[in-house]
Amino acid sequence: MLRKASRNWRSGVLGLMFAYLLLTLAPCLSAQTAAAGALTGKVSDASGGVVANATVTATSVDSGQARTATTGADGIYKFDMLPPGNYRVKFEAAGFKVMEIPSTAVDENKTAVLDWKLEASEPTAGAPTPASRDNLPNAPSSSTKAPSLEDLGFTPAQTQGSVQDQARLDKRTHMLKIHQRLGLITLAPLAATFILSANAGGKNTSTTDRTTHMVLGAVSGDLYFMTAYYAIRAPKIPGTETRGPIRLHKALAWIHGPGMILTPILGAIAYNQKNNGEKVHGIASAHGPVAVVTGAAFGLAVLSVSVKF
Amino acid sequence: MRKKILTAFLFLAFSAFGESDSQWVLEQCTLTYHVSHPLHQSEGVSHAARGKGVCHAGQCDFLIAVAVKSFDSGDSNRDLHMIQVTRGAQFPMVTVRTRLPEAASASATIHADLEIQFAGQTAQYKQVAFELVTHGNETRISGTIPAALSDFKIDPPSLLAIPVKNEMPVRVDMTWRPQ
Repeated sequence: MLRKASRNWRSGVLGLMFAYLLLTLAPCLSAQTAAAGALTGKVSDASGGVVANATVTATSVDSGQARTATTGADGIYKFDMLPPGNYRVKFEAAGFKVMEIPSTAVDENKTAVLDWKLEASEPTAGAPTPASRDNLPNAPSSSTKAPSLEDLGFTPAQTQGSVQDQARLDKRTHMLKIHQRLGLITLAPLAATFILSANAGGKNTSTTDRTTHMVLGAVSGDLYFMTAYYAIRAPKIPGTETRGPIRLHKALAWIHGPGMILTPILGAIAYNQKNNGEKVHGIASAHGPVAVVTGAAFGLAVLSVSVKF
Repeated sequence: MRKKILTAFLFLAFSAFGESDSQWVLEQCTLTYHVSHPLHQSEGVSHAARGKGVCHAGQCDFLIAVAVKSFDSGDSNRDLHMIQVTRGAQFPMVTVRTRLPEAASASATIHADLEIQFAGQTAQYKQVAFELVTHGNETRISGTIPAALSDFKIDPPSLLAIPVKNEMPVRVDMTWRPQ
């Protein structure tokens, strides 16, 4: 009897480890096999002469990751092995204006070509300010009398953007998207665990039912903690006050978080008691109620950010 | 004859006065964007816009600017996502420029060509209708800018794998006064 329970337990743990490895390694394997693209081009001046030693920075619009290349004596730069997507490309060279292209696409297994002509900088001018960029040649109000951002009392600190801050926001959104998807995926094994709990905890239950319930619960737990990881590790944005439904979402984590730790512990005790032919008793009898509260809090947390009440 | 000369003098004097530089200042402004999703209808409001109009030779150049992060939808998480998706940390300002004839302030409706810089992109909107109501020294202007996410190369954010609609109309309510 004891040996059989131990065998079931071992097979359950092995199944769990396999599921965990599959879930953990799958994204890595797919990332390694994803095809990359390349970006190249020639940097020249207004007369068509090549510009050597120009710094070219390609920043992924999606991930915020930036790479830098320098033009050679022939004015050519190249980025190899770029993940496909849209890139902001900045050109900088001594004696020239800094220019930035908001978006250029890099496709899988293709080399995108972006040639660029740099404009000579004014003798006294440094990097262009947002105010000077506003006076575009095609602007309907290109008159020299037109008001500027400085006229409105905005300071350069308010009007100048930060690539680093944008990258932090991009990373935050990326991690929270994974958090959201994993949270939704977790609902499936969690619901299955609840459905099968009727067969696992009643009077006439089999070891197989209990093991299935336990394995599904363990998979739910693993997915849950992976979900939580992406929320906890997402970069925090300083100076942001939490307002709206996200407050409820975060508050509920104080219920389902401890619940997700407590439920499997109580479940393991109950599992052993059942396998020993005993009736579930003592602290283990709280497994069901704790699981229900935990599941309800988790479901409500998902709903709080999905549906507008 | 003397009356004609006097009339001509007064006309020229008023014309010259009309063409002299004058300015308008944005007294109050409420900007409201509207985003549609099958599960959500969201609005973000900003009262932080600043604006100025400079008139010269019968034409007025207006600039209205507002920080992207000043929009409040009542949900800090959604606001941060909006800042991210609109590249608001890298391009923190939204600017609207337009040129109008000085005489337009006397009309009940104006149609303005707008140039909007947002998310590192520039988009132009032709003949956007605004209603004008003048109370004493103040002129209230209201209307809706038919903005769309694709105008600024913004990928529509999605919730539960469903993207929001491309249209993102922006309601404008402004009060201007001459300086």
